Amino acid sequence: MNNISQQYKNLTGRKLSFIILLVTVLFGVALIALSQGASSLGVKDSFAALFQQTGLAHAIVWKLRLPRIVMAIIVGCGLGLAGTVFQAILRNPLASPYTLGIASGAGFGAVMVIVFGGGIYSEYLIAGNAFFFALLSSFLILGIARLKGFTTETMILAGIAIMFLFSSLSSFFQYMGTMEQVHEIVFWFFGSLSKVGWKEISIAAVMILLPCPVLLKWSWDFNLLSAGDESAKALGVNVEKVRMLGIVLASLITAGAICFTGVIGFIGLVSPHITRMIIGGDHRFLLPASALVGAVLVLTADTLGRTLWAPQVIPIGIVTSFIGVPFFLYLLMKKRREYW
Amino acid sequence: MRKYGIKICALILLSSLLILAGGLVARATAGESIRIQDATGRFVEVRLPVKKLVVLTSDALEVIRALKAEDLVVGINTGIAKEPLFWPGLKDKPAVGSWRGPNYELIVELNPDIVIGYARHPGQDMEKKLVPLGITVIRLDFYKMRSMVKEIEILGRILGKEQEARQLICWYQEKLNLVERESMPLRNRPDVYVESYSKYHTAGPGSGGHEMCVLAGGHNIASNFSIPYPEITPEWVLAKNPQVIIKATAFGNCYAMIDPDPLKSVRDKIMACPAWDNIRAVRDGKVYVLSSDIWTGPRAIIGISYMAKWFHPEVFNFLDPEKLHREYLEKFQGIKYQGVYVYP
Repeated sequence: MNNISQQYKNLTGRKLSFIILLVTVLFGVALIALSQGASSLGVKDSFAALFQQTGLAHAIVWKLRLPRIVMAIIVGCGLGLAGTVFQAILRNPLASPYTLGIASGAGFGAVMVIVFGGGIYSEYLIAGNAFFFALLSSFLILGIARLKGFTTETMILAGIAIMFLFSSLSSFFQYMGTMEQVHEIVFWFFGSLSKVGWKEISIAAVMILLPCPVLLKWSWDFNLLSAGDESAKALGVNVEKVRMLGIVLASLITAGAICFTGVIGFIGLVSPHITRMIIGGDHRFLLPASALVGAVLVLTADTLGRTLWAPQVIPIGIVTSFIGVPFFLYLLMKKRREYW
Repeated sequence: MRKYGIKICALILLSSLLILAGGLVARATAGESIRIQDATGRFVEVRLPVKKLVVLTSDALEVIRALKAEDLVVGINTGIAKEPLFWPGLKDKPAVGSWRGPNYELIVELNPDIVIGYARHPGQDMEKKLVPLGITVIRLDFYKMRSMVKEIEILGRILGKEQEARQLICWYQEKLNLVERESMPLRNRPDVYVESYSKYHTAGPGSGGHEMCVLAGGHNIASNFSIPYPEITPEWVLAKNPQVIIKATAFGNCYAMIDPDPLKSVRDKIMACPAWDNIRAVRDGKVYVLSSDIWTGPRAIIGISYMAKWFHPEVFNFLDPEKLHREYLEKFQGIKYQGVYVYP
């Protein structure tokens, strides 16, 4: 008995230390990102500028570099979280904001405002419309799944169909658009963290952080869901409610993560997998750790994207896949046994 | 072996006869035909006279109107009807779809002699669909400064409007020389950040915006870039500290615009970019918004004149871009001057 509880403590300790490691890595990458940039500001001056109140260095660090870093972290967290939640409630390793069509919905909403806003649009309108269409796609999926009975396979299938629907609609805008709108949409699909300021960050942060307490509270329910709907129900989980509300909350997070930055693919799918391969499927740890993995990935990708080929920026949406896919495949090959 | 030899000989004889006959027939029915090299660099045989045109690009349409060949146009792109004031004589012509993806069936139905599109849009499928039906596809851009004169000349030959083409070229060359003569020797070129339609995307070498900036006597801070429309970081712009910022914008329908507020709000947004209040251009108020109408395309010379004045007000005080624009619209386009194209 003593032995088992000792083992459990050890395991928990391992998970906790992984989270602490992630926080440290994230902090380290953030410091590197903070010291890198196009201006001649040195590493030392960059850090010194953190504590200044005025001046050019202050402006560069506080108005240009920090917003980018903070947004990268928030977006990464959001995508990692949303992916984990979708995979948990649908009990399917293929679930992610993109494969469910929810990111495509949010993207369509944002593109719609960008195209029809005539250049004069507010950040709130983009965020609101992105969330509206993210919700619309999630309700479509839920509706279809309800009609056919709640199998997770139908939901994924419906999600993929909806992803195609919204991608086509966005492409249709692009096809119909003037040359300028085409530019705008094309770049939107590459993703970019350049355009965010503190205002966008605060909107995105609210959309991503607000659902977190509820999701963390549901960690046990998510854990039980992995045993199957019947078992979870038998153990007192309100499966329908967790699934419905879970999708709504994850949609809100997804919309927050992508409405200002454009398409940053892959993170939502792989962060949960990477984390699960390392610390296992206990959602009390998986949720925060997966969010942190997402943050590390996005921040690293963005920092590489803007320094490797400086001053030209390699769009973040491209870099995330460049670094995410090989890392993911490496982990997949290393883990011989079926881990899901 | 001998049997084969005879067969091959007969085959060669037969085919050469066929080719000869084909050539005779073609010559008999085609009348005169010319060979031109279009924007893709390939040679295209055009049978004259050209009587019916489908024009997919508004740039080409503008040049066609300048060559007084408006009445040859039988089909246009869908966007033209959205600017009825600018295209009074053309807005009601049948539309055949968008400039990048027209409806080939509609084009075939109109049975034009030639279809004019951009070098890269629509794709090669246009040739595959239309050429077998006897419709000639010609690709002309009219948005690159370097090839503008050559393309106007080609269009003049195709449409039998050589004289009108010469007039337009003369006017265009004269105005361009006026700027170039002064701007090329200039040593103290201001550092310019050119922002294309999308935020934080600049115009590097290979883009029309870069060409215009250099011709107007500016030094593009992105002149050593390797791609035409790269994303950049706002910090890079801050570090380069440009003296002038040029923002290209595309509201469409600037011809019908009376109130400059939309252009002003674009400028305000640029000026309010985080930390950019430290940039010389923003501090000195040298942030200029230029509409797509006079940004690359047949009217780029007007945009260049505005830019030249902004870059070197004392050198180019003899230039009057608005007058230039009025002259162009009234003389070549047959419409009165109106609209808002720059701010401030």
